[in-house]
Amino acid sequence: MDFSEPQNFREWASRVFALRPLVLILLIFGIVISELRFDWAEQVLGAYLVTTNTQRPESGSIWEVGHRTVTARQTLEQLITDRQSTQREARGADTFTQIVSSLPPGQGVMLSSEHFRRLYLALPGTLAQEVVAPFELLRLLSDGRWVRTYLENEDYGLKIYLLNNENRVLRDLRIPTQLLYQIERVELALQGTLDDLPTFESRVYPAERFFRALNSLPHEDLGSVISQPEKLLGIDGRIVRVGISDEAVSGYIELGFEIEDGTRRKVILLKGREWAVWMLRSYLEEMGQDTQKSSGSEEIGDQG
Amino acid sequence: MTGAITLIRIVRAAFYGTLAVISAAALIGVGMFFIAVRDLPRVPEPLSRIIETPPTEIFAATGERLMIIGGREVIPLSDVSTHFIQAILATEDHRFWEHHGVDKLRTIKAILVTLFQPGRIEGASTITQQLSKNLFFSFKRSYMRKFRELLVAIQIESRYSKGEILEAYLNQISMGVGANGIEQAARTFFGKPASELTLAQSALLAGLPKSPTRYNPYLHLDRAKERQRVVLSRMEAVGYITNYQAQSAFQDELTPQPPSKAARTGSYFLDLVIKSLEERYGPEVVYHGGLKVITTIDPQLQSMAEESLRDGLQGLDRRVGIDEVIGRGVGSGVARPQGALVTVEVNSGSIKAMVGGRSYVETEFNRAIENNRLPGSSFKPFLYYTAFEKLDLNPATVFVDRPVTIPVRGAPDWEPDNFGLKHEGPMILKQALMKSVNSIAAQLVEQTGPDELIATARRCGITSKLDSVYSVALGTSGVSPLEMASAFACFANGGIRHEPFWIWRVEDALGRVLEEHIVSGERALDVSITYQMVDLMRGVVDEGTGSVIRRMGFTLPAAGKTGTTDGYYDAWFTGFTPTLCTSVWVGYDRGQGLRDTRGTGITGGRAAAPIWADFMRKATEGDPPREFMIPPHIQFKMVDPITGTEATIYTPHPIRVALRQGQEIQEHTVGEEGLSDPEAGAMPSYGLEF
Repeated sequence: MDFSEPQNFREWASRVFALRPLVLILLIFGIVISELRFDWAEQVLGAYLVTTNTQRPESGSIWEVGHRTVTARQTLEQLITDRQSTQREARGADTFTQIVSSLPPGQGVMLSSEHFRRLYLALPGTLAQEVVAPFELLRLLSDGRWVRTYLENEDYGLKIYLLNNENRVLRDLRIPTQLLYQIERVELALQGTLDDLPTFESRVYPAERFFRALNSLPHEDLGSVISQPEKLLGIDGRIVRVGISDEAVSGYIELGFEIEDGTRRKVILLKGREWAVWMLRSYLEEMGQDTQKSSGSEEIGDQG
Repeated sequence: MTGAITLIRIVRAAFYGTLAVISAAALIGVGMFFIAVRDLPRVPEPLSRIIETPPTEIFAATGERLMIIGGREVIPLSDVSTHFIQAILATEDHRFWEHHGVDKLRTIKAILVTLFQPGRIEGASTITQQLSKNLFFSFKRSYMRKFRELLVAIQIESRYSKGEILEAYLNQISMGVGANGIEQAARTFFGKPASELTLAQSALLAGLPKSPTRYNPYLHLDRAKERQRVVLSRMEAVGYITNYQAQSAFQDELTPQPPSKAARTGSYFLDLVIKSLEERYGPEVVYHGGLKVITTIDPQLQSMAEESLRDGLQGLDRRVGIDEVIGRGVGSGVARPQGALVTVEVNSGSIKAMVGGRSYVETEFNRAIENNRLPGSSFKPFLYYTAFEKLDLNPATVFVDRPVTIPVRGAPDWEPDNFGLKHEGPMILKQALMKSVNSIAAQLVEQTGPDELIATARRCGITSKLDSVYSVALGTSGVSPLEMASAFACFANGGIRHEPFWIWRVEDALGRVLEEHIVSGERALDVSITYQMVDLMRGVVDEGTGSVIRRMGFTLPAAGKTGTTDGYYDAWFTGFTPTLCTSVWVGYDRGQGLRDTRGTGITGGRAAAPIWADFMRKATEGDPPREFMIPPHIQFKMVDPITGTEATIYTPHPIRVALRQGQEIQEHTVGEEGLSDPEAGAMPSYGLEF
């Protein structure tokens, strides 16, 4: 395009006030003024940025805080979930052994006093007595301050705190591992046979022989072998085998009575005085030898 | 004509030049936009998400909130005083309602000032830009950062209403001293909600965001008032208020309320709580997880403890001759005595008050738990208990206060001195503890052995390292005031030991329990021997080295023991009532003993016991007198403090002793008085070596 500078004012004026430069100037001014007035550039830019917002990174201080918050929430949620699942499992437990198995070492669970009572009542009488005397629980219940129970799985067994509403311990109890083991055995026994209980392994006798031997004992000693015969009378089914434990604890030896009830078998565990059970055992052994002898002589006779 | 043409030429050149500059700027702008937009941060939706971080709140046992960590107190815009909104708009961005994130006129002005007035930088950030900067960007200055900040501000303006933007801004704005957001600031500085701020208060607060440290009203009230004047004149200029309103608001006397507990990060106890929370849950959960923490502290007892320790230490300053003026110049190198006080509840072990030093602002070192200082004679109760238990001694057993030399294998003999370097001859053990006689303590530890004594201290809850040497009986292994308070609480509680604790319960933001403390104690000491020790320590308070407590007017049943170490480096008093057990330590942090202006050493009875008495008097005010529980089979006898025989009406100053079942004292017989002479050599009492 040939461009030559105007040589006079008229020519300058005609060029300046020509349509094209005027339109250009007006356009520029229009753009600037309208932008100042209506902020359209910001609006266009803003609208564009809004549309691309989701594709941009979550960076910057507020997002960092947000990420830390998310991490913190996740950590907390995990803690809570673990705790709640432990609590849920423990609260659904019907026995102490179920609670122990549901609690990781060092962890505990809070139960209502009613739940603890249910667990306690589910224990066999002699074992319950070893956990806490029922009269002690009655005293605490009548006192009205016992509202919650905290059970903690510790190295040596189960620690139990009976608490008031301020979390102060009214009474603490311990179920040592050995006692827990006994409880577990009782629970196991309730659903199995004497063969499931290793401590009876070598001393399982037919029920008929056992009671025959029992009847051989002096009458006044019977109660020392079976102190609560009514427990056996009260059960459904028939006693088929009786086992004598090979462990004596605190002057007592455990007796296992295997019951056949239709197709089911179960074992009832009772404790007998150690000396009385030993006496009974010697009778049983003698009877066993007599049986062997008589069967042996029969065999000899047959041969002769 | 030629001149007009020249002018036209100049105008033409200017026009095209400007056009070129604008075009270049536009091109650069577009280029920068494409560079900046690549890593422009995403704006959260909705904007309120920025303030969703739940705060961790720490509560006192009484339910009062002590502290908020992280998070903000979010309030709607309608709950903010109109005065404050106007003040902040007039000061920070008076065209807020008109612009679209950028105040172009102010920006152009700021650019021109920056370009043509070297060294001067004029700010032109709108409230939206400030919000954008606070939320996403560092404070590092760069043109690209500024440009990105501007783009985000534009986006925020496009997406959210002015009300939402202003609300977000007001809820995140930093006002200093840990107050984030207007609600926290209003409560911190004026103890009221943001909706109730007056014009004067609003103007003061609206001046803070420019420099919260420089205008901190607690430290620089004069500067804050000057800034308030600027804010008021801006409000007047913008037309929000009249000149008269501005003047009268400026003349309003404004005294910010003392830093409230919620705003104060400086608390030894809260430090302890936060530290243990961090250890259990990790810093992220503590600062961003929104925990609710119920602690054991009793704010009333805490403020009494702070007051008593402060007053006691100020008295000590005077006594040791530290002039208050010099004392105030901490930076000038003048060391002042420090102190610590811990109170635990006897029947639970919960910490009810804890002060770790004279000022948290001066030093955050928590002397109540981290300072292992020698307990001196305040360790003797563990020794006496051990002697009663292992040697079957009783409070009426007679020992002779005499110079003792105890051979130590592989080391020089141990020759402990008494405090007054004097010896008083025979006396019963109760008297020996009341007078804190070292020579008798040395004889006892020689018989029990240090290991038995250490075992007793461990049973009571002393966990610090204790050296198995005879001198441990005289408190030559360091312990903390918390250990002492907790261990003495075992005596106060009839021998039942409770672990000290400071957190009752921790919940998440939804109120689900993360942990709760179970108050379980276990028997650590024999109940009857423990009662004998309580009775011995009552003697210390009633008539012994701690009798200043009675002279100060504390009348409730109490027991305790003073302790002072060689060179007066440490002064202790640990004592208890049936409900509270408090330990007080006083001393210099290092290298100096406590001596008054005459050079006389200051003992635990003079320095620590008065603080204990002052605190316990306030703490138990209105409480009915409660006796320590006396176990069955304890019998009391009045005995002669020298011979240990049963007192008669002729016995001067008889002492009451508590005896366990089977423990008998010697019947008084005529002529026995003569046996009080240690040289007589016929005293039928345990431990006598004439």
